[in-house]
Amino acid sequence: MIKLEMQNITLAYGHKVVVKDLTFQVMPGEMVGLVGPNGCGKSTIIKALSRVISPYSGRILLNGRDISQIPRKDLARLLGVVPQIALLPSAFTAFEIVLMGRNPHLGLFQYEDPRDMAITWRAMERTSSQHLAERRISELSGGEIQCVVIARALAQETQAILLDEPTANLDISRQIEILDLVKGLCRGNKLAVVAALHDLNLASHYCDRLLLINKGRIHAEGTPIEVINTENIEQVYGCGSYVHTHPLSGLPAVLPRVDSNRNSSLKKYR
Amino acid sequence: MSLQQAKLSHTNQAAPAALYPHWRSRVYAILGLLVLFGVIVAFATTVGSVQIPFLTTSSILLSKLPFVNMNPTWTSALETIILEIRLPRVILAGLVGAALAIAGATYQGLFRNPLADPYLIGVAQGAALGAVVGFVLPIDWQGLGLGTVPLFAFIGALLSVAVVYTVARVGKVMPVTTLILAGVALGAFLASIVSYLIITSGEKIHGIMFWLMGSFSLTQWSEVKFVLPYVVVGVGVLLIYARSLNVMQLGEEQAQQLGIDVEKLKLILLTAATLVTAAAVSFVGIIGFVGIIIPHAVRLIWGPDHRFLLPLSILVGAIFLILADIVARTILAPSEVPIGVITAFCGAPFFLYLLRRRTKVLF
Repeated sequence: MIKLEMQNITLAYGHKVVVKDLTFQVMPGEMVGLVGPNGCGKSTIIKALSRVISPYSGRILLNGRDISQIPRKDLARLLGVVPQIALLPSAFTAFEIVLMGRNPHLGLFQYEDPRDMAITWRAMERTSSQHLAERRISELSGGEIQCVVIARALAQETQAILLDEPTANLDISRQIEILDLVKGLCRGNKLAVVAALHDLNLASHYCDRLLLINKGRIHAEGTPIEVINTENIEQVYGCGSYVHTHPLSGLPAVLPRVDSNRNSSLKKYR
Repeated sequence: MSLQQAKLSHTNQAAPAALYPHWRSRVYAILGLLVLFGVIVAFATTVGSVQIPFLTTSSILLSKLPFVNMNPTWTSALETIILEIRLPRVILAGLVGAALAIAGATYQGLFRNPLADPYLIGVAQGAALGAVVGFVLPIDWQGLGLGTVPLFAFIGALLSVAVVYTVARVGKVMPVTTLILAGVALGAFLASIVSYLIITSGEKIHGIMFWLMGSFSLTQWSEVKFVLPYVVVGVGVLLIYARSLNVMQLGEEQAQQLGIDVEKLKLILLTAATLVTAAAVSFVGIIGFVGIIIPHAVRLIWGPDHRFLLPLSILVGAIFLILADIVARTILAPSEVPIGVITAFCGAPFFLYLLRRRTKVLF
């Protein structure tokens, strides 16, 4: 069980500030969605949480412990990441890639034992990717690679998972399958989950809480019903939308309003 | 380790044994190559100006192994030829081949670049400048138990990598691309000095050229004794980090997220690979081709897993360079051809054949 906290985090690439004074926390068993337009800082937040970049100021805490004080290997046992575009070495097989998820659990002089193999296989089973096990990465589609990377994060057996656009390359049934799986782990194993999502409808249906981020700041925070409304979408994305209540779940669902006037800027190219 | 056990302990969720079909064949390959290495060493010590039967050579070699007792049926002169003249040369060729091959595999893996070789970040040019200065200067310094030329070559190699590393380092991180570019730039700078020294070197030019293209002539045990500890320690370190090197293939960001301290790993691997390469080239010169092609050949045959790629590269590299040295000293006997000429001339066609035959992705 792990609690994830960001306290007054400012993130910058060189002198370019990307995220300003951000504070939020994720409890065990909670799934928090980061939503917002392209370039708003979602991926940067994921990178900071996994200590790929270090914050300009502020602290990131795992169960009250500053992550900059946690050795990388220990951190990788607590926190797994599904990166946005996973570039994988094409000559390795899918199984070998998922097996790399066991790396943080192995000492320098250790080899993967049958238990590691079994955990790896189980992770592939859960993401319905075991039929890919012997295939080389070069032979897989974008969606299949996505499943392999998610399986690798599962094989890592962490207590928190960060997902950066986990459904980007997946078809509609795979999107639901993967998010069901993540939500199930979140609830069943009390994982703390942070997911950066572009699809507001998926975010609305799977996340307990949403952070709507605009230009590196939190624009709105709360349950999907509190965050997803026409006003917020207009303010953050600058486009009209029609937000209605999903007839089955009762959660907000978004349809973009396709306004012919908005295309006027394109007309001059015709 | 075995998947049979995996099946027993987790009956309903174990990975099928078919997932690791290559494990066994790769282990067999390592064992087979070890045996082949022994045979090649015996064969290489058989070849020479004095005719000695293969059986006699093998017996002399075997009698020197621990726990083997044999009554000598050969003269002590033969034993001296085998053990004092031919064997050190063969062993040094094997060591250097192993060192260059594993260093090449490491650099390729670390930089995730198929064009990387052990000389990429300035080792070769640094060693060459050191060696040429050693040839040209009218001095005779000794140090670390080495003569002037190998001593200067060894120091030059380490110094140039240290410079490249310092230049490429930005704060706490060392971007790989910057490192490669700094290595290429410094290499060109040093090479220009080497060229200048060569054309002004007068009658010493023959010795310099021979060193630059590589040669094992006049190898003694003292040279083996110098190279051996660097290669053993370096190779040991590289083998320990083979799994980390696999994870590095995912790129630095994902490697970090899987618990690898990327900057520390880069430093450890670079240091180990550089020491191994510097020790290898200091006596025998810049032998090309082995460090870039042997790892690729191994990868083509046995796959990209560094836990097998590294040990297999060691064995294939050692065997290849011993064979190349046999050709180098017999083809124009009694004079010798620089071994760098042989490695590329014999090795490249074979590699092109492998490249053509295999359709698998390389990297």
